[in-house]
Amino acid sequence: MKKKAITSWSLAFALISVLAGCSGNHATDAGSNQEETTISFMHLWPEGNSTAHYNIVNDIIAKYEEQNPGIHIEVEVLSNEQYKEKIKVLSSSDQLPDVGMTWAAGYLKPYVEGNQFTPLNDLLEGEFADLFVPGTVDAYTIDGKTYGLPLELNIAPIFYNKAIFDQYGLNVPQTYEDFKNVVNVLTENGVAPIALGNKDRWTGSLWYMYLADRIGGPELLTQAINGEKSFNNPELTQAAEETQNLVKADAFVKGFNGLSDQEAKSLFMNSQAAMYLIGSWDLPNYTTNEDVPQEFRDSIGYFKFPEVNENSDANSFVGGPGVGLFVAENSDVKEEAKDFVQYFIEQWGEQAVTKAGVIPATKVDTSKVDLHEMYISVLNDLNNASNITLFADVQMNPDDAQVHLDLIQALFGVEVTPDEFTKQHQEALTN
Amino acid sequence: MMKKLPNILLYTILIAIAVFQIYPLVWLFMFSLKNNQEIFAKSPFSLPEDPQWENYVKVWTNGNIGTYFFNSVWITALSILLTVLLASMVTFAITRMKWKLSKLVLGLFMVGLMIPVHSSLIPLFSMFLKADLIDNPLSIVITYTAYNLPITIMILLGFYYSLPRELEEAALLDGCSVNRLFFKIILPMTTPVMSTTVIINMIFNWNEFVFVNTFISSDKYKTLTVGIQNFIGQYMTDWGAIGATLMISIIPILIAFIFFSDRIIEGITAGAVKG
Amino acid sequence: MNKVLSNKFMIALYVLPALILVAILIFIPLGLTGYYGLMEWSGIGAMKFIGLENYKEVIKDPKFWNSVLHSFLLALFSTLSLGVYLLISLILASKIKGSSLLRKIYLIPMLLSSVAIAQLWMKVYHPTNGMLNRFLSILDIDNPPAWLADPSIVLYAIFIPILWQYAGFYILIYYAALKNIPEELIEAANIDGATPWQIAMKIKIPLISGIIKVTVVLAIVGSLKYFDLIYVMTGGGPNGASEVMASYMYKEAFGSYHFGYGSAIGFFLLIITLVTTFFIRKLTASKDDVQY
Repeated sequence: MKKKAITSWSLAFALISVLAGCSGNHATDAGSNQEETTISFMHLWPEGNSTAHYNIVNDIIAKYEEQNPGIHIEVEVLSNEQYKEKIKVLSSSDQLPDVGMTWAAGYLKPYVEGNQFTPLNDLLEGEFADLFVPGTVDAYTIDGKTYGLPLELNIAPIFYNKAIFDQYGLNVPQTYEDFKNVVNVLTENGVAPIALGNKDRWTGSLWYMYLADRIGGPELLTQAINGEKSFNNPELTQAAEETQNLVKADAFVKGFNGLSDQEAKSLFMNSQAAMYLIGSWDLPNYTTNEDVPQEFRDSIGYFKFPEVNENSDANSFVGGPGVGLFVAENSDVKEEAKDFVQYFIEQWGEQAVTKAGVIPATKVDTSKVDLHEMYISVLNDLNNASNITLFADVQMNPDDAQVHLDLIQALFGVEVTPDEFTKQHQEALTN
Repeated sequence: MMKKLPNILLYTILIAIAVFQIYPLVWLFMFSLKNNQEIFAKSPFSLPEDPQWENYVKVWTNGNIGTYFFNSVWITALSILLTVLLASMVTFAITRMKWKLSKLVLGLFMVGLMIPVHSSLIPLFSMFLKADLIDNPLSIVITYTAYNLPITIMILLGFYYSLPRELEEAALLDGCSVNRLFFKIILPMTTPVMSTTVIINMIFNWNEFVFVNTFISSDKYKTLTVGIQNFIGQYMTDWGAIGATLMISIIPILIAFIFFSDRIIEGITAGAVKG
Repeated sequence: MNKVLSNKFMIALYVLPALILVAILIFIPLGLTGYYGLMEWSGIGAMKFIGLENYKEVIKDPKFWNSVLHSFLLALFSTLSLGVYLLISLILASKIKGSSLLRKIYLIPMLLSSVAIAQLWMKVYHPTNGMLNRFLSILDIDNPPAWLADPSIVLYAIFIPILWQYAGFYILIYYAALKNIPEELIEAANIDGATPWQIAMKIKIPLISGIIKVTVVLAIVGSLKYFDLIYVMTGGGPNGASEVMASYMYKEAFGSYHFGYGSAIGFFLLIITLVTTFFIRKLTASKDDVQY
């Protein structure tokens, strides 16, 4: 009887090991060509929601493999949230892919401190460095070493619905007083002035950042985050107060603290709100995206955040580089991976802007490519920008960023006073 | 006549609840046929103006839905088989066999209920890495099995306690072995509760994505839920396609559910005849 | 006969495979969670041993206790709602016309993944376009609340989809348990002229009391570690108003890169759940555990 039991068990285990065996040997079956080098590459543009990006990436990879026989790029694609979570788990075991995507500044700090990314300075010694828009690479640089090379560059203008503005005889506001007037006219007429999805919190942060920029001057917020100045200063407090004044004037859509950015965007895109402050990554929705009705796209314009006082400079923007490429420190094929990164960036720029509507961090020759006029206009603004303040939650260390984002939600919910808001920032930033 | 009134009232309530419960499925179906504008601007009750059947085409032709589907099926099925079998054996041993540590072992399984999934991600990843099980579907199967064992055992437990003891006593007097008693007598008698646990396991495994996402990197081993995530974008999300993927993913589970749901009744009837 | 059922080899054969699997895949991670809690660790690179610092800090962290309170409220509501599910199951299990169809319909929401449920309820609660507020405006209610944005409402608003999500699960278990009751017992009572209510209270419920206790434990444990819908629908916000233990842990470990601190929260979650379960078991343990 015992024997029988044992046989049935060993059968079960045999079954499991067969399964394990038949699926565990994928590493060896590529081995017909012994010289083959595999570079693993993870990105966050799945076919399902970023078809254009996805196709460009595949295109570049195919070309690269063709030009470099013996090199195989193994791709894994995850969408944003899943990508961030997986990168975190992989790095806890030093298992990052050879090449992957990262964000700038505060985001990459833990990875640099944990020795996960390798410096790419050697790539930047030659002409290659001149491809980038000046300053964009700096956001990925810590102590003189550059750990990522940017693919995207964005600024955040205020998009507005011309049809709604026309209906109430409103003009693009030139000053902050004008802007408040626009808000008042819209609310009096029962139109929601601004679409804001502050469940995601970085969206509200954009508003606060602009007010801080216009009230305290372009440098102030960055200096406060760097610790060069105290966050608890009158101008940053005043910016918080102005933010709450907008909330109290019903400038934002109802229930904004419970809405996601996606939901807010939908309100704007259904003409249920007149204005929407968002990064230029959203441009395709207002220009070339065929899924959006032509009539709506034609009715959208944008303006720069208006000036508040004599410190203000309307050519100062909130924005900065988006995702960039890193090479893993633990990669066995570091040199090959770096070469691939360089190739990728060289190929990316022009295709990105023409096919996917992404403004690349490399220079675009507007005379050579055929672009929608709104793109030309944004690219000009970028060229003439006096300052670009990197998104606060990207600038800060991840833990300070969480404090900042929570405080933003509390500020918009009028659950903290402006003074507490800046004091708590200062506390978080100094310890 | 007076007696009818409470009945009418009862049915009104029951049907109202039924509408409330079936509505999500109807909603999901209509959702899957809309475009983004309709989904956000129009009432969720509204019918799709211009049914976007291409949402389904898009989902089917996009990427590897077929492979994902196949993986979902076999990973779910194998995990269920292992979980329900192992859980039944444990429950049998705890409720029917005589040993000192049975209470303690039961307690250990209960502790297994209490782990939050996210605190196990990093430890599990490094363990699978050492065992060379990363990017191997076996890691998913054994993780599903282990994480569903405690709840399955808990559900089985109450039923095993209620099985009449006379039956097994008679069987053992006849010289029946433990294996025969378990496989030939006890297991068939527990068909209803096994079907219940099969349904529950099926839903958990079918809808899970955190583990798959973390432990699997090749497309050839990913499951349907990963396919759903692919449509959720950072800047633009294709809600219609998500709806279509959700519909495609729910159909097999709906069919399986109806099948097993009937087994619950049949099992009881069969058990009653034998008893 | 007893010899056969106390054969050590057979017991090991039946218990060990499952136990080993659970030990490796659940207990080791649990132990490691406690261990990481002793470290200052971002989750990446080198760890630094800091003794009980993280645990001490968790105890002093008002945000943590806030999330504990919310988790316990969820546990309370989940437990109370079991009564409703039991009632529904009693009706479904009685021989009314169409019960087979109704039963299947009632369990449908359970089949939906959290992604779908979250999307549905975000549409229900949408402040301007949502079903709920449109319905309220038909009733001429001015300025209905923004359900997921108002800190005093959001927690309760989000409990409803969670309870609704699990309704099918408990109904399924109760239904199977009720169907398992031998027909003769109920027929005998019927002959004695007992009303359906009496049969339910005096016969059915006592007979499935074992299963009811199990579901109470499952509801409480499940609530205390609950994560899914809260994370998708509110992210614990606004400003922590709907934060629960698991979402707070996730934020600390994966958002703020405080993996050590997050692990300490995870370990507290385990301890709190263990203690609560222990008391619930004591509380519901009765001398006459029904066996038939």
